[in-house]
Amino acid sequence: MMKKLIAIVLGILLAAPATAEEVNRTLDAASNGRVHISNIAGEVTVNGWSRDQVEVTGELGRNVEELIFERDGNKVIIKVKVPKNGGRGIDSDLHIQVPQGSSLDVSTVSADIDVKKVRGEQMLETVSGDVDTEGGESDVSAEAVSGDVTVNGQNKEANTRANTVSGDVILVRVAGTADAQSVSGDVTVTEGSFDRVDMNTVNGDILFRAGLRDGGKLVTETVNGSVDIEFDGAVSGRFDIDTFNGDIDNCFGPKPERTSKYTPGLELSFQEGDGDARVKVSTLNGDVSICR
Amino acid sequence: MTEEFDDKLDSAARQLATEISPERDLWPGIAEAITTPQRSRWTPMLAQAAAIVMLVGASSAVTYIATKNDGGPIVSVAPELVFEQAAFGSNYHLGPGFQDARNSLRAELDVELSRLSLEAREDIRANLNLIHQAIVDINTALEQEPDNVLLQQKLLRAYREELTLLRRVGGLTRNVMRRNDI
Repeated sequence: MMKKLIAIVLGILLAAPATAEEVNRTLDAASNGRVHISNIAGEVTVNGWSRDQVEVTGELGRNVEELIFERDGNKVIIKVKVPKNGGRGIDSDLHIQVPQGSSLDVSTVSADIDVKKVRGEQMLETVSGDVDTEGGESDVSAEAVSGDVTVNGQNKEANTRANTVSGDVILVRVAGTADAQSVSGDVTVTEGSFDRVDMNTVNGDILFRAGLRDGGKLVTETVNGSVDIEFDGAVSGRFDIDTFNGDIDNCFGPKPERTSKYTPGLELSFQEGDGDARVKVSTLNGDVSICR
Repeated sequence: MTEEFDDKLDSAARQLATEISPERDLWPGIAEAITTPQRSRWTPMLAQAAAIVMLVGASSAVTYIATKNDGGPIVSVAPELVFEQAAFGSNYHLGPGFQDARNSLRAELDVELSRLSLEAREDIRANLNLIHQAIVDINTALEQEPDNVLLQQKLLRAYREELTLLRRVGGLTRNVMRRNDI
């Protein structure tokens, strides 16, 4: 009986898969170099720090072949290499410290991406996962397919591009130009100041609570969703608002007009002040509210 | 527009001469031809055979020209270019170039989707269905107001959304896979 028990325990131990591997590695790096990170599944967090080094800590999945971590001039490459057929046990959590002035190029398939205190340009892509970054002083491009995308800026001039398919897009304290898009999610822009903003979704609401500069342009489009705009400060320019099936609530004065006696569509076009800003709003099924 | 064209045509017609005199008197020659008709060098049967041969030849040439491109290589059309040409509304429709581009991207998407998790696949398909439903809704509205510019723009945007989604999903997956395939 005892022998049987020992055999069973040994069998279980031998059949158990290899355990996950802890990783803790460091490389010297340029203060404003580029860091490429690629991890198919798990999690990627990146933090900027004051050292001219890149440090990787975390845990590699039990079936990961290796972690490639190397420097090539100003470029540092961090790649989780997995078997070509993928499979289970490849989830890897990477926590990476990079010099604050670094630029980032992060790609994942099924992993969240979280970036903080990095000042250089950021290109962040995931298929299934959330992207959350503190935008710095440089351009940000953040994309997801199935997940939310959030960019928290510092009101520094930059080009920000954030889009997802299934999820929300949220831009906070972003300035300059922004392009925010979703298919089935809400798109929100708050606390920024812009020369140009494009906000688009198919099934979702659009919320804009930020400033539009002189000569700036705001374009919002949704198919099934409402549009809520509240300008931070005065806006002087041309307004064109259309809805096929919804109301238009406008704090600027003019009243909307019916586009047809057969359908409930409304349109509102007017000039506010003598500026040359441009505001264009359209929705198919949804209400529009525009105030300051 | 039709009335304006008709008016111009009437005006131009009124300016035409009602009688045209030949530069020389042709009647003696015509009379001579009637009284002594010349025999054609071709017999009527030969002429008919020649006409049939010409007709068959011309028909074959037209058929060849019309069908010669069908078997050729499919030229892939960049979606941006397709959309520049794809104006539509009550008087327009999406052309074959758009359909070719869309079908090509759809086929590519199916391959790329197989690399994703079941959850991600279903999510993407649900969003594609959502865009398709939006297209159906907009088209339904367009039936009521075929010339509504807002609806036309929305429809264009919805088609563009679909193509963008198809391209993005494929591109994202390929990028990451390639980077890890070292």
